[in-house]
Amino acid sequence: MVAEDNQLVARVLASQDMAAFGELVRRHQSHVRNFLRKLSGDFTLADDLAQDCFMHAWEKLHTYSGRGSFIGWLLKVAYTTFLQSKRKSKRYAEILEAAGTQADVTEQTHVRQSEEVGDLERFLAVLTEEERAVIVMSYACGLSHREISEATSMPVGTVKSVIFRGKEKIRTSFDIKDHQYG
Amino acid sequence: MTSKIINMAEHMKDAQDRMLESMFASAPIADDGFSAQVIRRVRRKMMLRRLSLPVAALIGGVVAFKPFSTLVGIAHQLLLQMPDELVASAVASLPTVQLIVTGGLVLCAAIFSLSMLED
Repeated sequence: MVAEDNQLVARVLASQDMAAFGELVRRHQSHVRNFLRKLSGDFTLADDLAQDCFMHAWEKLHTYSGRGSFIGWLLKVAYTTFLQSKRKSKRYAEILEAAGTQADVTEQTHVRQSEEVGDLERFLAVLTEEERAVIVMSYACGLSHREISEATSMPVGTVKSVIFRGKEKIRTSFDIKDHQYG
Repeated sequence: MTSKIINMAEHMKDAQDRMLESMFASAPIADDGFSAQVIRRVRRKMMLRRLSLPVAALIGGVVAFKPFSTLVGIAHQLLLQMPDELVASAVASLPTVQLIVTGGLVLCAAIFSLSMLED
């Protein structure tokens, strides 16, 4: 019999069951990595962040109340990890700038990414970070508005308007007509 | 009723929703040792946390050993210079070796239990 996520979480909390935590990681790694890949646009960075996310999840598992879905909670941790990493790299860039050095790494990443971009990446590029996160959670991870609201700490109404705004941006930026959706 | 309407509205997808869903649809990412790597990192972190207290105590002991032995030497010198009856009365009021050892063991057990509880 396949154990539910909540049962596995309970086992981890009760006895630090590493096998149960391993099962949770195996079950959700694809969603978390996919979310972070879409959000960051960099596969290697995304996988590093996904590892950090699961480490944070291990540390903070006791804060999961069991009311919402586990993947919703996990994506919240992933989103927080992503934002923290962005803040850190921003500070790092500021220090480099203050020291008069150019951040070559960022440029290289942009060059590589521009070679690899597809339609989806172009669509995501016109969105703000917040819109991208919400749209990815909704369309790539299949989270409901309520789950996205819990993951991003935004009210449900705001989630809906962010999705609407994001879709409008994509529509206007790429001049997509309704009949083109197929 | 209101929540039902909200849920229905959420499930009413337009053409753009369908397009975005199909664009986002991708094959699941293969694990390729990712989970094993996460578990290894978690295990390493747990071990480090469990070891940190005894190791810190050991380092503290090593660092404190020399000044402490000097202190004991000075105290010994001072004791030798004291009148015999004063030393005898002071020694009588000091805790016995058995008491010190028992106290030390209790302290170690408490520290160990606390670290286990924290883990």
